[in-house]
Amino acid sequence: MEKRQVRNNIRKLRFHHDEMTQEQLAVKVGVTRQTIIAIESAKYAPSLDLAFRIALAFGVPLGEVFSYDPEDDPNQTINKIS
Amino acid sequence: MSYQEKNITVSLVSYLLIVSYYLVNLFQMLKEGELVSSKLFGLSAIVILATIIVNIIASILTNIVLTIVEAIKDQKYDEPRFIADERDRLIGLKGMRSSYITFSVGVLVSVLAFAFGQPPLVMVSLIIFFAIAAEIIGDISQIYLYRRGF
Repeated sequence: MEKRQVRNNIRKLRFHHDEMTQEQLAVKVGVTRQTIIAIESAKYAPSLDLAFRIALAFGVPLGEVFSYDPEDDPNQTINKIS
Repeated sequence: MSYQEKNITVSLVSYLLIVSYYLVNLFQMLKEGELVSSKLFGLSAIVILATIIVNIIASILTNIVLTIVEAIKDQKYDEPRFIADERDRLIGLKGMRSSYITFSVGVLVSVLAFAFGQPPLVMVSLIIFFAIAAEIIGDISQIYLYRRGF
């Protein structure tokens, strides 16, 4: 299965916010718990809108929740080779 | 299993029942040598109507039953329960794409069958079969995506 390059710290941030449950976060940002599970396990990369809503729910900048690893990007690898 | 998954499963079961009914009747007609246009079009009309009506009724009943069950479980009666978020919509679109691809292949197969000398009745039967098969494939691909995570 394709591994996503978008990584996240949602699990850690939930823990540091009074051990917020996935359900509580889901209600806060207006999605289903299954979507939060998929995002946390990096199976689904959220839209920019949802990413901002998650960051707002934790009160932190977007970069603290999500990060992008260019090393994993196949396009970058092709560029490096050429 | 989420609400969407339950809804899709109910839809899948209803389509499987309808396609089974269609195939059983079609093969019975073939076996008895009664594959005539009037009978086949009658069967097709029943299948198309059943597809629409059964799906609407199944969807409404699933919604009512799940809402009641969830309300009893949570003891909260005034909250919106089933939201479809961006991931649900994306999975829905992917399922629809699978359906369209299946139906396109089905139409191509039907037209080729006609082009290679099969009677028009076979072409019509194949198109109706692939129309329902497309919905089944769409539902299966959605369930697969939900089970996999995305």
